[in-house]
This record gives sequence, structure tokens and C-alpha cells, in this order.
Amino acid sequence: MLAKRPFFITFLAPAVLTAVILAAAIFEVLQYSVREFIPGSLNVGGFTLANFAALNKPIYWWVLADTFFISLLTAIFSLLASYPVAYALVRAKRDWVRSALVSLSITPLFTGEIVRTFSWMLTLGTDGFINSILRKLGLIDMPIQLMYTRFGVVVALVQFSMPVMIILLATAIAHVDRDCEKAAANLGASPTAVFWRITLPLTVPGILSGIVVVFAWTMSAFSTPQLIGGGKILMISNLAYLQGFSVLNLPFAATLSLIALVCALGSLALMKGVTSRIERRLAVH
Amino acid sequence: MTATPTQQANTFNPSPEAGSAVDIVRVRKDFGAAVGVADVSLTIAKGEFVTLLGPSGCGKSTLLGMIAGFVTPTAGRIVVDGADITGLEPYRRDIGMVFQSYALFPHMNVRDNIAFGLKMRKLPAAQVEQEVARAIAMMKLDGFENRRVRQLSGGQQQRVALARAIVIRPKVLLLDEPLSALDKNLRAQMQVELSELHRKTGLTTIFVTHDQGEALSLSDRIVVMNKGSVQQVATPIELYRQPANGFVASFIGEINALPPGRCEVKDGIASLVLPGAGPLVFPAMPAAGFAPGRQVRAFLRPEHVRPAAPGEAGPNIVTGKVDAHIYQGSHTITRVVVEGIGLVETRVTGSDIVAGAPVGAPLALAFDLGEAVLLDASE
Repeated sequence: MLAKRPFFITFLAPAVLTAVILAAAIFEVLQYSVREFIPGSLNVGGFTLANFAALNKPIYWWVLADTFFISLLTAIFSLLASYPVAYALVRAKRDWVRSALVSLSITPLFTGEIVRTFSWMLTLGTDGFINSILRKLGLIDMPIQLMYTRFGVVVALVQFSMPVMIILLATAIAHVDRDCEKAAANLGASPTAVFWRITLPLTVPGILSGIVVVFAWTMSAFSTPQLIGGGKILMISNLAYLQGFSVLNLPFAATLSLIALVCALGSLALMKGVTSRIERRLAVH
Repeated sequence: MTATPTQQANTFNPSPEAGSAVDIVRVRKDFGAAVGVADVSLTIAKGEFVTLLGPSGCGKSTLLGMIAGFVTPTAGRIVVDGADITGLEPYRRDIGMVFQSYALFPHMNVRDNIAFGLKMRKLPAAQVEQEVARAIAMMKLDGFENRRVRQLSGGQQQRVALARAIVIRPKVLLLDEPLSALDKNLRAQMQVELSELHRKTGLTTIFVTHDQGEALSLSDRIVVMNKGSVQQVATPIELYRQPANGFVASFIGEINALPPGRCEVKDGIASLVLPGAGPLVFPAMPAAGFAPGRQVRAFLRPEHVRPAAPGEAGPNIVTGKVDAHIYQGSHTITRVVVEGIGLVETRVTGSDIVAGAPVGAPLALAFDLGEAVLLDASE
């Protein structure tokens, strides 16, 4: 078999190398999480399960729950905001409308996370764009608190994840058989009915994969909650960062990272189970 | 079995009191500078089975799209059951359609596909169930109600698409090349089923195809289209025997186009003088297209050209050289190159001619000129 594919091993080598290094790094994290923390030192002591025992405090459970909650909110709002854009992008009749939508929705992918987060800070701040506008319009007297709130973090995360969501949804919408929509119209379905009964159900696979991808992506968000949450909104990676680089408790940071990884993989597996059941029921694949 | 549609296809006589189901009045569709459909007018009687026939790009599908409401005409009117529907949205038209790809809803089972149109009409559940059951029985889909449409064979999908279209009792049924995706045997069987369905439901049906065989066997009338224009509207038999122009003559069935010649009458005998090959004599005075001195082209079907009997002589016997035999089982098409006339095809029952006149050998042909179609040479 290998003889028939002479470059098989050569081509596979970079991927294997990357995977091995990643596995080694994860093993190192695992290894750190079961070591004793020596205050005031970066060196670690012997084997202990104390780090896992230390997790059992309401503050940590709360951060974990909040991470789930923020990720889920982000996935849902990203879906709601992206679907109309993706639909317009695929169905636009004029080329320039399509190109404009593609550049508007995809270019944010190519600006760094820090740049985008910083723009959101300028927008959401007490003297930021939104508050200045609202004050000029006389709608508010005092600036409303947007920075350092869950709302602000979710807004920024939604914008951050929209390009990916739009790409996944646009692919699904482009695959909808237009003849099915025509057939539905021919059978008496109004444009609204065609959307709810044909287009939307046929794009469910795209919707589900969009939610899963954005959810998993947001679970590991760091700089957006770090800068916009400003320590008041903690997600699991911010907590790990705090433990590792402020308290310098590397073993506990490793434990938190491990928990984050397990939770992310666990929820992905759970969602995969749910989505494949829905897809089987719809039988669109 | 395949004889059934042919037997009943040509017996249609629209009764005058039935009225017209569809009136297409000078309908036109331009695509930018190109013409998709050019000023087509057509009246279709209630219960009639009409086929739009033509090569791809002739405008037949565009015309069907305008009747369904998916294509907006540039000009003209479309009237169904006396009501002008030209500007009406597709979903308000009450016109059933079967798509070339069937366009079944993949996320619904057979029953839900068929029930879709009735649910859109907000009929009570009991009535929906009853109507769907009737359609399922009529299309012989019993036992498949809960199947996914992807689990069905091509023929079954076709029947679901038909059931879904007829269950809403449409004013007109549109069929857009519904047989083209099926293999040959299934196609012949579905032709019979379509024909039976039309007889049972009495639905006014507009069928689009590029397959002249389907058109001839199924239709009450055929509308031949080319480059956006209607070439001829006629019953299958008329179309085959009296094509209106060279395009129709060569599009429907096989036909030999003889080179242009001049009509002459001498001593009460009509003849066609071909410059390169001498006169051909008509057995009787031709009825259509003949006028002394007129330049015409004669079109002759292969079945009206036969190999001459040994020693046979006469004015309509020409000799050429065998170019090829195309053996078809029940018959053989033999191509003969005749000096001054060109390639002539003859249709002979059986296979005897293949051995009797090998390729390259001379062969005498007798033209049955009484069956020739005469068309103006300038066309």
C-alpha cells in the first residue's frame, strides 16, 4: 500500500511532528497539575492531588459556569446576527453587493484579536462611541456601563466569531437546492413559508456546526474577556492566567487548564451527539 | 404496452364548450440583448396534453417558467381559466409542476412531501390525510408513505413528484423534462403511466421535452420551438406528415432533404426537376406546396424510400452507392450516396439488405414521391 503512495510518509511527517509536540505539551500540563506548589518559587514539589481538591470552591465553579454561559450566548447571538448576512451574501443578485458583503464580513478575520478588542474598548468605554452618541442624542445623562460587563464581553465575542459563523452558514445556504424552494412556492408556500419550511431546515447542518465551532472557540477565549472584562468577568483561561502569572501558582494554573480542556472536549462530544441526532431526524445529509 | 399512449394520443378533439385553460398572448422574454422567447401566442384547451418540443435553448423551459411564474415576461399576457396571471406570484397561481430534478424535499418523508401543498392551503387535517391517501393510491406508492425520498428509486421519486403536483388539483400541470433522468426501460414505462394519469385526472398538461419520441407518443398537440419562436403547432400525425418548414421536418423523425428543384406540369403529369439528377415524377397531382415553376425542396422519410426490385425501371428510380448500414434490430437504415441528390437514407425491415448490398456496392432506390413534403426552397 505504501509503495503505491511514495510520498505518503513524507507528506504526513509535518502533521505527525506537530501532533507529537502538542501531545508532549499537554502531557507537561498534566504533569504540572499533579505537582506541589511551593510559594515564592517557580519550581514545583512532589506528587499531590491537592490542586484538584482546591478546585472545590464556589468561585471556581462559578467561573466555569460563566464560561459555559458566555460561550453559549455568544454562539446563539452569533448565529442570529450571521444568518441574515450569510443569506444576503449567497442570494445577492448583484456581484458588487456580494463582494461588498464578503469583504465586510470576512476581513475582520485578518485583523488581530487585540486590535479588534481594543476597538471594542474604544466603542464601549464611558467616553466611547456608543455613550457619546447616546449623550449627544440626549437619551442618557450619565454614561451607561458597557465595559467590564458580561454584555460587553459577549458583544465583542459575537463580533469576533461572526466571520467563521458566516462562512459556515453561507456554505450551507449555497447548498440548498433552489428547485426545492421553487417547488415549495409552486405548491403555494409564500416566501416566508418557503424560508421557514424549506430553506431553514435544509441549512440546519450548517447552523449546528456553526454553533459547535463558535462555542468551542469561545470556551478558550482569552484576550477579549481579559481586556473588556477587565478582571470583573472571568472566563476559565483568564483564571488560569491569573493563577499562573499573577500568583505564580503554575501547578494550579495547569489544573485549571486541564479542566478547561476536559470541559471543552466534553461539551463538544455532547453537542456532537445532539447534532447528529437532529441531522438524522432531518435526514438532509 | 408502449402502444397504449400512441393509440389514445391522437384521438383528442377539444370540445368547443370546454373553453381554453391557458391563453398565452404574444409573450416575449428578452435576456439582455438576446431573445429567450419571441412573441409566442398559444391557446391550450381544457384537458389537453400539449408538448413544448425543441432543442436545448429553444425557449421551451423559459416559456414554462413564465407560466409557473418563476420567469417574468418582458411583454405579453398569460391567462389561465380566464384570469390574467401575468403578474401573479408563483405561490398564488394554483399551477402544479414536476421539475426535471423532481425537487422533492429531502427533509420530509413521502407523505409530508405530498401533503405540503394541501397544508399550505390550510385544509383541515382530515381532508389532507384523505387527499394524500388518494394520491398515494393513484400513484401506486402504498407502503412508501414513511420512506425518506432519498431512499426511493428514480421511478418512485418521479411518482412522488407527480403525486405532490396533482394532489393540489392544479388548474394546469407543468412537466419539465420529467423523464430525462430515467433509464430507457423506465422511461417507456413512465410514458405509459403519464398517459394513464392524464386520462384519469383529465388535467390540462403542458409537457416540455427535447425528445421527439416522447412528444409524438404522449401529446394531443405538439408545439415545436426553435430559437425562441414557435415553428409549428399540430397533432403528432400532422407534424410528422406535414411539417411546416425544414426545421420541423428534420427535427421530427428522420427525413431525407432532397436538393432544391423546380415544379413542372407536362401533359397533366406533375414532376420535380432536380438540376443534377433529372426529373422525379409525382404519381398524382400533389396537394400542398406544389405550383408550376416554383422552386421547392422535397423532404422524404426513409420509410418512403425503398430498394428497387431487380429489373424494376421507372422515373423515380435512382442508383447510388451504399455508404453505410445502421442495423437497428427490427429494421436497418441504409445510407446511399446518389449523384446529384446526395446522401439518401432508406429504411428496410429486417437485415437482408446488409448482406445483399455491401458497403460500396451500387444500389437502386425507388422514391415514393407521393409521400414527399414540399417546402419552399428559400426556407
